[in-house]
Amino acid sequence: MWPPKGNHMGLPLQRKIMEQIIFYILAAATVIATVFSITERHAVHAIVYLVTSFFALAVIFYLLGAPLVAVFEVIIYAGAIMVLFMFVIMMLDLGHPEKVGTPGIRDWWPALVLAGVVFAAIVTIVAAATGSPAAGQAIGVREFALVLFQRYGVAIEIISMQLLFALVGALYLGRRQGKGEKP
Amino acid sequence: METIAMPAINFAAIMPETILSVIAMALLLINVFVPSEQKAYLGYLSLIGIVVTFFTVIGGWGTPQEGFNGSVMQDNFALFFKGIFLVSAALSILISDQYMKREECNHGELYPLILLATCGMMLMASGTDLMTIFLGLELLSVSLYVLAGFQRDSLKSNEAGLKYFLLGAFSTGFLLYGMALIYGATGTTRIAAIASYVAQNSLAGSNLMLLIGMVLMAVGFSFKIAAAPFHMWTPDVYEGAPTPMTAFMSVGPKAAGFAAFVRVFVIALPTLRADWADLLWVLAVLTMTVGNITALYQKNIKRMLAYSSIAHAGYVLVGFVAGNAVGTAGIMFYMLSYAFMNIGAFAIIVLVGKKGEPNNNVEDYAGFGFKHPLLAVCMSIFLFSLAGIPPAAGFIGKFYLFSGAIQAGYIWLAIIGVLNSAASVYYYLRVMVFMYMKDPVEEFDWLKVSPAIALCLIIAVAGVLIPGIVPGYLLELAQKAVLL
Repeated sequence: MWPPKGNHMGLPLQRKIMEQIIFYILAAATVIATVFSITERHAVHAIVYLVTSFFALAVIFYLLGAPLVAVFEVIIYAGAIMVLFMFVIMMLDLGHPEKVGTPGIRDWWPALVLAGVVFAAIVTIVAAATGSPAAGQAIGVREFALVLFQRYGVAIEIISMQLLFALVGALYLGRRQGKGEKP
Repeated sequence: METIAMPAINFAAIMPETILSVIAMALLLINVFVPSEQKAYLGYLSLIGIVVTFFTVIGGWGTPQEGFNGSVMQDNFALFFKGIFLVSAALSILISDQYMKREECNHGELYPLILLATCGMMLMASGTDLMTIFLGLELLSVSLYVLAGFQRDSLKSNEAGLKYFLLGAFSTGFLLYGMALIYGATGTTRIAAIASYVAQNSLAGSNLMLLIGMVLMAVGFSFKIAAAPFHMWTPDVYEGAPTPMTAFMSVGPKAAGFAAFVRVFVIALPTLRADWADLLWVLAVLTMTVGNITALYQKNIKRMLAYSSIAHAGYVLVGFVAGNAVGTAGIMFYMLSYAFMNIGAFAIIVLVGKKGEPNNNVEDYAGFGFKHPLLAVCMSIFLFSLAGIPPAAGFIGKFYLFSGAIQAGYIWLAIIGVLNSAASVYYYLRVMVFMYMKDPVEEFDWLKVSPAIALCLIIAVAGVLIPGIVPGYLLELAQKAVLL
């Protein structure tokens, strides 16, 4: 049945347990893949890890009753944006990692502290929350398009310009100018 | 087949933005076919675009246009600021070509990026949805990060670009978090709807989320307008960026930051006025004092002007705190005259430098007044105006900002402002002392004034002196543009 109706209350117990198991596997996959994409020094490998993480995230969205967001996650993030990253890396010839040691604990502690703060905040919020999550209404293409083009029409245009010129700027700054090399 | 009812698209509301972005994209294409010695033609084309846009801005005056389901509103307030942005972009383009040629960095990407940054500023001024304002700010920032690091072979410029990028991204986080909290408290991002929700549910004073959101937004905007204590990035970025781009980013983005700051706080959060007026009072005093005192002992003239621009943000904040018609008209008048005087001063700095030797220290100006009397007179006019000495426009602007504060009952704020203004005379006059009272060390024989820079200087001197002597017309325009 597609899209899955989000009302989990009426589901048989077995299926509920099954969904929970899948959710935890996917969540672990997302976190682990993201961690690897940060620690990996080779840019292309890091991108492959990031794509893995996006795929796992997409299935989580699907489980939560947002099939459209899941498809977007795959098409836009894992597809278009990652291809764009690869494209820029190839264009600027950044695929060769320099021989630098992995960062030690001293470089990591600010990130660890921040991650700890965020984690503590999430735990507090989750612990204080009452009632069931809002998941349940599957948002279709129609509702999404209405909001996108009626409410945020001008915002979409601005974002497209911004992406274009971010790319122009990145290409401009990243292009190396050697002595004998034509720009 | 089912169709979605499209919203009424009112292009009149974003006409200037549309023209500028179309020209920017066209220039990107044309750039490929222009040989690198002739990139100046791209500058001329973008100037034509700016002039055309300026006429649409004039044509739109007096007829407010709302568009895109309430995302943008082009009223007189927005139009006045759009005029300021166009003036600052045009003046910066006029001084860019000679500098970029001299530094062997005349790449065609410069002009589209300037136009797009201007487009982002315009969206900030006319946005009536937090989303539009934020996206306009990002459009502006992304272009500015590249412009600050535009001399990609110069380490200083690279440093400026990277520093601006990191701190700018950091401040964007504050702004966005503030906006998210306000959305969480009120359930809308439309600034008019925020005000009515807050009033209906009487959230003011009791809702912590709203209050924290307001403070975080103030922090985010303060980064953009370079108000103390969020000003740390300013001197390094201004010093390292290519001088014409320093001129550009010291005026336009600051004005855009103020436009969005004023619109969001005055329209969306009028019920929290008591809270944010106190906050901005402290910010204004800190900004003026820190800016002026630090500027006193700067040797590098670009750094000195960076600290002076921090101090000027403080003066403008005084008008914002006052919040009455006089103060708000003062903000607009002051930002316009600041565009002329500051970019004019940077034009002279561009001329005094030569390839590899920026000659940015105050000592480098020794005897400049004897070798190039006309240019030195221009520089003196700009510096007098920055110091707020009549008959320059800077005096009238400060007069209105401070009298707005006095009318609103902020006597002490006005007194601190005037004292600061008096202290600032020291470091502006020091440059003049070097120009006129020291013996020349250099011959300044490398100095050539290109027609574009001459035009920029003429416009800037006129823009400083004419409103300074007959301020009535511009002030009337500014008063018609006040939001209240």
